[in-house]
Amino acid sequence: MERRRDETEKEKKRQAVLKGRNFLLFFYLPFLGILIIFFVFSSLNRATIKKRTEDLVKEQLQAAAGILKVNISHFLKENYSVDEIFGSYSGEEDIYYIALLDENKRILGWSSRFEGYLPLSLQAIGDEESWIIDSPVGKIFNFFSPFSSEEGKSYFLYIGYSLGNLEEMILYSRRSFFLIFGLISIIGIVFFFGLYQLQRHYLDKKKEAEDEKKEKERYRDISAFTSGIAHEIKNPLNSLSLLFELLQKRVPEELQKDVSLGKEEIQKVSRIIDQFSASLKPFRLNKEMFSLAEMVSDVRESLFKEFSTDGIEISYSESSSIMLNADKGLMQQAFLNLLKNSLEASEKGRIGIRAWQKKGKVLVRIDDPGRGIPEEDMELIFEPFFSTKKKGMGVGLYLTKKIIEAHEGEIAVKSQTGQGTTFFIQIPGG
Amino acid sequence: MEYVFWKEEVRKSFFIILFILAVFQGTVFSQKPDHFYNVDTEKKIRGTIQKIVMESRYKDASPFLIVVLEEKKTEEVYNVEISPVRFFAHDFHKGEELEVTGSLYFKEGEKNIIARQIRFRGEIIMLRDKKGFPAWRGGEMKQKKRRKGKRF
Repeated sequence: MERRRDETEKEKKRQAVLKGRNFLLFFYLPFLGILIIFFVFSSLNRATIKKRTEDLVKEQLQAAAGILKVNISHFLKENYSVDEIFGSYSGEEDIYYIALLDENKRILGWSSRFEGYLPLSLQAIGDEESWIIDSPVGKIFNFFSPFSSEEGKSYFLYIGYSLGNLEEMILYSRRSFFLIFGLISIIGIVFFFGLYQLQRHYLDKKKEAEDEKKEKERYRDISAFTSGIAHEIKNPLNSLSLLFELLQKRVPEELQKDVSLGKEEIQKVSRIIDQFSASLKPFRLNKEMFSLAEMVSDVRESLFKEFSTDGIEISYSESSSIMLNADKGLMQQAFLNLLKNSLEASEKGRIGIRAWQKKGKVLVRIDDPGRGIPEEDMELIFEPFFSTKKKGMGVGLYLTKKIIEAHEGEIAVKSQTGQGTTFFIQIPGG
Repeated sequence: MEYVFWKEEVRKSFFIILFILAVFQGTVFSQKPDHFYNVDTEKKIRGTIQKIVMESRYKDASPFLIVVLEEKKTEEVYNVEISPVRFFAHDFHKGEELEVTGSLYFKEGEKNIIARQIRFRGEIIMLRDKKGFPAWRGGEMKQKKRRKGKRF
């Protein structure tokens, strides 16, 4: 039994690992692939947009510098000093520094927002250049360009524009991208997880159906086989039984007891075979309306005849008079099996049967004060041929479950070692 | 791309409006021609502190710490512009040694250096970046560091 349980556990673990792998392979890997493609494509797209935006801004700033040169040229003609000219641009937020140089590239005057900061190297500079530098306050677009005053004198203008707005725009674009990327990732994970759950549910159901089908086929085969054997055994048993009956009439008085015992033993073997056959055959229900209380009473009577019930009381109570639409014979057998188990497990006390109706269902609860069922056996008690009793065949509870399920009902058990057992039965109708 | 073109139009209008405003504003913010951090005239000197003074060096800026340094090899004297006084957390004393890397310029026959990096009592202190951008104006990160009590 232990070995069977271990194998079941191993199989469950193996299936869980397989499910995990399938999950990764069929759901998240393609999604991850899509995300990577999206990320690469978006990054390239953003880089292109950034480049084109920078080019546009550069063109724009060069155009603005062109306007400045015209205005400075005009101021120079009007004999304004360099200080006065640059003072005009002190309100311009985007100009970080500006310098005016003569034709020999000597600085005539300059102005900067930051103390002494004029990042111009005259050693390597050409006649017209533009470049971008990084600074702690962001990127700065530098433009160095010649121009002539209205009097024909040559000058150079050096100007540094803040690219803060452009950087803000790029930062905004990057934030938006990561936000969208994050949202898509989350939505994708949730969506694929949902899809996976659905698929897993479907596969579980499919597997359950397949297992059930296999189980049915297996029992059909066993049933056919054992029915054949039972039939073959029952014929000679019947003959033996008849023979013992004849013997009982003819043997002397002192042998009557022995013959009677022999006859009972044969009948016992016959009953066992009947039980086996019954447990393997599919049920054909002959439903009828009957009183649950009366049925339980019959079962109790039958038990009192068969077993010694000293010190044990069986009580029955119901919320109202309950009529059950079921196969009376089979139901009697189911209750007989349950109560027989309870009796065998209990030494003294009261076995309580309580029945009530709820939402079109009949609910029955059977409590016994017995020794209880060990936790490791709980899953197996409804299995065929599982028994903890020395004389038991392990058919009773299996048969009970089959009978209840044949009536589209359910049976459950709750137990704790040393603290009794409770069976819950739920049958539609009533 | 529509967004970019929209930005371009706004930017164009923005420049024109600012230019017109600036022309009529007339506030002076320019400096003397030679007094800027010229990367082409960068020099390293090592000398002894002769004098420490505070001077106003830039318009609308707080006073600067100026160290008069005598170079060891040549015994030439340099006026070394360190940083705004409020920014500098160290104490200089006459006779102490100082190594300065900075941009050299001449003013009224005197040699002046705008310091970028100084080595003082075995510690290197960065005052400007390699292009001369002042550390005391250096973005959010440096300001945060300063709030925590560390100035460089």
